[in-house]
Amino acid sequence: MSDNNKPTLTPQEIVDRAEAHPAAVPFLWLGSKQTQRNFIYIPLAGMIIFSILGFLYPPKYPTLWESGLRYAAIGFFSYSFVVLMARPLFKLLSRPENYYGEDGEDSEDGEDDIEPVDGEGDNV
Amino acid sequence: MFEFLTSFSPAFILIAAGVLAGFIPSSSISSHLRKVLLVGAPALALVLINTIYFSQNESTYLGGSMSFANIELTTLRIDSLSIIWGYIFCVAGILNGIFALHEKCKITDTSALIYTGAGIGAVFAGDLITLFIFWEILALSSVFIVWRGGPKSYPAGMRYLAMHILSGVLLLAGLVIYGRATGSYAFNNIGIDAPGGWLILLAFGIKAGFPFLHNWMQDAYPRSSVTGTVILSVFTTKLAIYTLARGYAGTEILIYIGAVMTVFPVFFAVLENDLRKVLSYSLNNQLGYMVCGIGIGTQLALNGAAAHMVVHILYKSLLFMSMGAVLHRVGTIKASELGGLFRSMPYTAVFCIIGAAAISAVPFFSGFVAKSMILAAVFEGGYFVVFAMLLFASAGVLEHSGIKVPYFTFFAHDSGKRVKEAPWNMLAAMGITAFLCIYLAIPGPYGGMQYLYNLLPSEVAGAAKFNPYTASHVIFQMQLIMAAMFAFALLKRYGLYPAERRAQILDFDWTYRRLGLALVKWVSAIWTRLGAFATYKLKNFFSNIGRRMYQVFSPAGTFSQDAPSGIAAVMISGMLVAVLLVVYFL
Repeated sequence: MSDNNKPTLTPQEIVDRAEAHPAAVPFLWLGSKQTQRNFIYIPLAGMIIFSILGFLYPPKYPTLWESGLRYAAIGFFSYSFVVLMARPLFKLLSRPENYYGEDGEDSEDGEDDIEPVDGEGDNV
Repeated sequence: MFEFLTSFSPAFILIAAGVLAGFIPSSSISSHLRKVLLVGAPALALVLINTIYFSQNESTYLGGSMSFANIELTTLRIDSLSIIWGYIFCVAGILNGIFALHEKCKITDTSALIYTGAGIGAVFAGDLITLFIFWEILALSSVFIVWRGGPKSYPAGMRYLAMHILSGVLLLAGLVIYGRATGSYAFNNIGIDAPGGWLILLAFGIKAGFPFLHNWMQDAYPRSSVTGTVILSVFTTKLAIYTLARGYAGTEILIYIGAVMTVFPVFFAVLENDLRKVLSYSLNNQLGYMVCGIGIGTQLALNGAAAHMVVHILYKSLLFMSMGAVLHRVGTIKASELGGLFRSMPYTAVFCIIGAAAISAVPFFSGFVAKSMILAAVFEGGYFVVFAMLLFASAGVLEHSGIKVPYFTFFAHDSGKRVKEAPWNMLAAMGITAFLCIYLAIPGPYGGMQYLYNLLPSEVAGAAKFNPYTASHVIFQMQLIMAAMFAFALLKRYGLYPAERRAQILDFDWTYRRLGLALVKWVSAIWTRLGAFATYKLKNFFSNIGRRMYQVFSPAGTFSQDAPSGIAAVMISGMLVAVLLVVYFL
């Protein structure tokens, strides 16, 4: 058997394609672990490029200190601060989900006079 | 006919359509008629507003006059400030109607029409009494939309109603004080120094989600139905922004209130697992920008607040629509349960990403052309700390709405959920909204930016001169966005990004849902015990009196006992002496 007859898709990929919406099939690579792992290089490259451009075009509204990287620094540190604060805040503020005795599962219950049209509402 | 329709506020058409929708039977064919009303009534209102405003030469149109208790009411005032709110409310009403086409729910349709009408009526109110009436209709009609979320939404709806009734009471008290002191109920600039000014500001502040008054939003919105949340996200808060712009432009305290509003929701949004609750915090954060702009009060700032209001309605609706579509198909909106849905719902994913890009102020998306006006006004006003807070909040927005919502829903790990794409009407509503999110950011003769800027309330020249597409602005905005995305990717790669977990996150509402409730229970228990103690003491007291009386007057009592006549004589003599002394000295 020649190499041309070898299947190019793994069984998992075949299942994924069969289950996916037709419009999503060309973009299934977005869900791969490799894509997610390498995603970091896009914002890194963008940050470097726009930081270099920042030295060439001084801002109209400068921040409190002078540097071509200032907005990049604000973005990076502000974002990191917000995310890193999540763990201590979660410990401080989180309680069991039914703490107030009101919350349950998400549902569209209560919409009792809603009639599904064209077979909607069924999970494929 | 057309002349008749333009003689009163278009709000009444919507409200009448809502009442009519309530009487239409629930059969399949009749529900189509209700849907025609749901989309057609806001469309008709849009045409009427446009016709009224551009058919006369004055900058302000006053109409729909009514007399109430010898007070002249102006139910229709269309001017450069109210027109932009009127337009976008009608557009939002149409989009909400399209999004809800699949739903055969009479209560939602009826309430949505009345709610939209009340929002438009309040925006065009020329006096405080008309504003108050629509303010209350708005509260009452919207609570039914909250309650359509099912039994779990009833307590949230009650709290929602309580806050909005409180807002109405404060507005009524404020307007009465203001009207009696000034002799006028006209709704123009009020200011905090005016009699009743603080009360009215507080009333507006409740609806605008000021810090510590904001919890009704995160409490009620995520508990409403799929379509209900989209409808609710538009009118109440943006009406509050309008009233602040009308009555309190340039009030300095609003700058700081707005700045705090932009920052604190960021920390709550990152903790929340319910993505509609995340968007509710995001809504609060975006309102902060507008409140800040109104506090600055310059032409640029007010234009920025108005422009931000328009684009915010669109991209926040789009985000709520996309999350609503996910909830409709998957049955949950918890981030911990979702992931990988781009495989099943690719169009919804694209629309959500467009909404996320717009709220993150990515160039060529609508948030970019509006938020920058507020930031520029804050900087030019010399409020550098506030400017830094707004920049910090911009990175926060990117976290919760720009990355968290689309990433954890459509990407992240594959949850294995395979569902259908959203219904066609939801996709149509999202598609139109997504188009507007891009179109309004496109400069040049074929773009929509010029139309947005030409609608802005303050002198048009100021807005028209504002150009967001300068090299430095684009570059530094992209710096901020790319750096924040890099931080996300870095934190994610090294496992420092916290996992989404199901939990109840405590906010200020703990003070009344737990502390306040516990206090009421304690007071009630103490009151019960005090009551029991007082009853016991009173019972003892009267029992003792009765016993003593019995001891004295009963047949076996003291007075009935035989006594020696000598004692009686002494007692009578004593009494005689006492009487004589009284008579002698008096």
